[in-house]
Amino acid sequence: MNPPGSLGVLEEKEEEHLATPILGPSVHSDNPQERIQARRLRIAARLEARRREALGEYLDGKKESEEDQSKSYKQKEESRLKLAKLLLCGTELVTNIQVAADIREIHRRVEEEEIKRQRLEKLENEVKTSQDKFDEITIKWEEGKQRRIPQELWEMLNAQQVHCAGLIEDKNKLISELQQELKMKDDQYVKDLKKQSDDICLLLERMEEQVKNVMKTFRQELQNIEKAFEVERQELLTSNKKKWERALQAHNAKELEYLMNRIKKVEDYEKQLNKQRVWDCEEYNTIKIKLEQDVQILEQQLQQMKATYQLNQEKLEYNFQVLKKRDEESTVIKSQQKRKINRLHDVLNNLRSKYNKQVKQFQEENQSLTSDYKRLVLQFKELQKAMRHFALIDDKQFREIWLMNEEEAKDLINRAFDVDRIINTHHLGLPWMAPNFWFLKNVGPISQRQQKSTTQILEEVLMEAEEEGADQDSSESESYLDLPKQVSARTTRKILMLLCDESGFLIESKLLSLLLPLERSECYLLGLDAVFSALGIENEDDLYKLVNFFLKYQTHHSPSSQEPLDLRAEKEGSLVDGKSQEKEPPPSPKLIHPNDVLKILEAFVMGLRKPRDFWVPVKLLKVVRDDSKDSEYWEALTTVIPATTQNLWDALYTALEKYHLVLTQRAELLIENDSLERQNTELQQLLQQYLDTKINSELQVPPTQVFRVPAK
Amino acid sequence: MQETQTIESPSIPSRSSTSTQDRSSTVGQTSSTAPQPSKPTPIIPPLAKSTGPGSGSVVRRMRRIIAEDAEWSLAIVPLLTELCIQHIVKNFQNNPILKQLLPEHQKKVLNHLSPDLPLAVTANLIDDESYWRRCCTQRWPVCHVDNHGGSWKRMFFELHLENLLKHFIPNTTDPAVILNLLPLCRNYVRAIRVDQFLPPVQLPAPPRGGDQSDSGSEGEMEEPAMDHYQLDNLVAGLSHLEELDLVYGVKDCGLNFEWNLFLFTYRDCHSLAATLKACHTLKIFRLTRSKVDDDKARILIRSLLDHPALEELDLSHNLIGDRGARAAAKLLSHSRLRVLNLANNQVRAPGAHSLAHALGHNSNLISLNLRLNCIEDEGGQALAHALHTNKCLTTLHLGGNELSEPTATLLSQVLTINTTLTSINLSCNHIGLDGGKQLLEGMSDNKTLLEFDLRLSDIAQESEYLIGQALCANREAARQRALNPSHLMSPVTAKGPESPVG
Repeated sequence: MNPPGSLGVLEEKEEEHLATPILGPSVHSDNPQERIQARRLRIAARLEARRREALGEYLDGKKESEEDQSKSYKQKEESRLKLAKLLLCGTELVTNIQVAADIREIHRRVEEEEIKRQRLEKLENEVKTSQDKFDEITIKWEEGKQRRIPQELWEMLNAQQVHCAGLIEDKNKLISELQQELKMKDDQYVKDLKKQSDDICLLLERMEEQVKNVMKTFRQELQNIEKAFEVERQELLTSNKKKWERALQAHNAKELEYLMNRIKKVEDYEKQLNKQRVWDCEEYNTIKIKLEQDVQILEQQLQQMKATYQLNQEKLEYNFQVLKKRDEESTVIKSQQKRKINRLHDVLNNLRSKYNKQVKQFQEENQSLTSDYKRLVLQFKELQKAMRHFALIDDKQFREIWLMNEEEAKDLINRAFDVDRIINTHHLGLPWMAPNFWFLKNVGPISQRQQKSTTQILEEVLMEAEEEGADQDSSESESYLDLPKQVSARTTRKILMLLCDESGFLIESKLLSLLLPLERSECYLLGLDAVFSALGIENEDDLYKLVNFFLKYQTHHSPSSQEPLDLRAEKEGSLVDGKSQEKEPPPSPKLIHPNDVLKILEAFVMGLRKPRDFWVPVKLLKVVRDDSKDSEYWEALTTVIPATTQNLWDALYTALEKYHLVLTQRAELLIENDSLERQNTELQQLLQQYLDTKINSELQVPPTQVFRVPAK
Repeated sequence: MQETQTIESPSIPSRSSTSTQDRSSTVGQTSSTAPQPSKPTPIIPPLAKSTGPGSGSVVRRMRRIIAEDAEWSLAIVPLLTELCIQHIVKNFQNNPILKQLLPEHQKKVLNHLSPDLPLAVTANLIDDESYWRRCCTQRWPVCHVDNHGGSWKRMFFELHLENLLKHFIPNTTDPAVILNLLPLCRNYVRAIRVDQFLPPVQLPAPPRGGDQSDSGSEGEMEEPAMDHYQLDNLVAGLSHLEELDLVYGVKDCGLNFEWNLFLFTYRDCHSLAATLKACHTLKIFRLTRSKVDDDKARILIRSLLDHPALEELDLSHNLIGDRGARAAAKLLSHSRLRVLNLANNQVRAPGAHSLAHALGHNSNLISLNLRLNCIEDEGGQALAHALHTNKCLTTLHLGGNELSEPTATLLSQVLTINTTLTSINLSCNHIGLDGGKQLLEGMSDNKTLLEFDLRLSDIAQESEYLIGQALCANREAARQRALNPSHLMSPVTAKGPESPVG
């Protein structure tokens, strides 16, 4: 049985291993220990370096502290390694038992296998031999059956018995052997059990020892580390104390020095103070004397001043009294004045209010009056419009009635003429001549004024322009004239005035001399009249054409000239109130450039020629009709047939009446004759009829006989 | 509310403290007038009279003990709240009032509650750890609360349940004993660790002569009668179960030893498999020292295939052979297993082959334990090959596996390449001197391995020592990395040339 021995060896070895780290550095072998030491130092150094790298401040720190730090750190590292080794070795020591048990078990298994194999071999051999023996015995049994001789049989039986006994003995021996082995195994088992319990005990012991060891070493190491730290702390303390003392000494020395300096300075200052004091005293005395002298002088002055003061006081008191009196008076006057001012203020206020009231009242009145005026103007205009309207209508009616009557009259005249013609030609056998009278050809009412004459228009235009100055309002939208819409009266007037000025050559020199003393407007009127007559402008239309022509020309030939502006100004002017209108400068002669006027006139006259040829002027009644001609006309109409003819007609009438009477008598007689003839024929017929009838023959008395007499 | 808070303060010093004696005595005197009607009345009038002079009353008030009064005591009548709390504590079993109380009163009640109260009352009502701590310490002398997630309540219920399971005798104990506990402990129990299951009691103990060897065969014959407690109902009821640690065996049997006491029957196995399959929260499953052979292992592992949560499987100290190992290998590729322990089984080279094959493609397994098997060089080489491709395994235990030099050669190659392995155990093998040298060579290039156990493996002491030095360097480097991850590379490179020197 090898295991226990080997275990012991192992344990011893382990013991030694264990002892090395705990007891001391140089026990087992010098070389590795040194190496360990060297490596530890190196590790410590490297760690230190790394730590310093990590904490940069340590590089700047003092060397002493560094060394101290490293000392404690070294101690720590040392302890750590020591403890790690201790733990490792301890666990190895403890697990050694398990390993030993394992290897024992392996050995046991190997042995067991070997023994088992041997046993099996043995058993197999035994089985073989015993089988052989058994076979032998069974064969002999067969032989025995053949034996007849009892003695032989007995012998054989004996031999058989011996054989069997041998066989059984063999078996028994085997069994006992096996039992022996079993017993040995049992013993072995008991031994193993004991061994196992020993092992466990050992294990426990070692574990306990290990725990104790570890605790002890841990404590020791802790103490070591603490001691190291303590030492380090002590060193630090001493060094710091030294430093502190040095600093304190230095401080004390400096303090002493400062003290000495101070004492010296104090002495100096004292000396200076004394000197200063003496000097001050002297100065003080001199000043005192000087001041006393001054005081005496000033006192004298004071006395003088007092005297003058007294005098002045009295004077002033008197003045004061006077002024007081005056003051009182002035106050009285002041109060009076004040009262007066107040009263006047009241009056002023009253007047003001009254004035305001009146202003208001007048304004209102003015308002109402202007409104009334406006209303009246409007009414007037409306009335005028109505009047014009009615005048037109009356005109029309008058004309229509006139025409109707005229027609009627003309019919009658025509009939009369017809009758006269028939009478003349048929009855009298005279040649008839149709009378030719002027009025027969007339149609419509007789009027001198078919349209307004130019002079009249001119007058109106000029008058109106003058009127405009007076009342603008009325002229703003309406004009008495039927001027084209786009042309205002003022423009027309301007154009006309321009025309008059420029075409002076058309006016006769005689007339010009006559015009000079006349008024301006009349002068224009007459001048224009003359000009128009020279140009051949005779009615309203022509005038308007002229004006339009002017305007058109203007727009055509000088679109960029001032005319549009002027026209616009005109429109504006017509809209603004009277004042601005009056202030306006007189119509500029540049409205149409004077040089252009003649060209325009020439063109106009050229254009006007053609229509004038066809136009037959008929002088008719004026607007205000004179009825004198009317009655004449109508009278004339009535006396179309002259009195001689009428006498002729009367005589003819009477002759014809007589003729008529004769003719009527003759006609009556003719009619009577006719009827009698007819009666005769009829009666003849009837008679014939009766006579011809058959009944006559049949009758006794023929009718013919009866009616002979009446028949004729 | 207010009253209780204000009056509470004097009641506390009245019991013990002497520092506030003046105040407590005066309060005691004034308050004692009402509850002690008979005795103190003669004392009160002089007290009232002596208030006029002043000095006497002051002296009186200053006195802590009144000797003239025989029944005088410092203790005052307890407050109403105090009485109420006492009453609640007394009648807690019948009328548990806790949640309605103020926090401070709750604390008081819990401090005074007896740990012997029936669980039906306390289980779902009390969450206070100190109460459960008292319960635990009263029942069990040694309590490792760390093994139970640091929760005393969980510990109490787990240990209680474990106790019940340990002493459950099938066909004799009423199963309702455990099932009644279920609704009380379902929210608290996370682990079940049972190291013994009692077999059913055989009523007619037939007198047998001396032939003990027959008892094993007899047990097999009576196998259907030897079934242990069926866990399925219990496990189905525990909604937070995470750990299941079972040993089908009997402890402390002493001279009553019989082989059939340690029998993990097929019926047990089937029911356990069904239980495992149904329990989706299970993370750790251990079934050790239970004579699990290949067939039973296959039954169990088949039920664990594609388990959603399982992370650790421990089937150590059983009788699992190559077929069982093959099943475990299949499980590796069909689950998220992180720890696999097949220590002390009968896995040989073929089983190791299949495990190695699974390991080559696995990315979950962290730890593999094949201690005390017999995979020999053939299996060891297969595993070493698998480690060439594996990038996950950190711990590998191949102790006691009859390994020798060829495996060591391959492993040394693995050591140069692999950067995940941190712990390898090759103890109790026959690595030999040359193998040790080769391992040392491999080790010189490795920077991650922290533990490498080569005890009793026949290698030279010098190489073992050098390997130890390399491990030390690696450990130091790992410590540095853990301390300051920013200087990850610098210490490694610095250490590189140093280790061969040392």
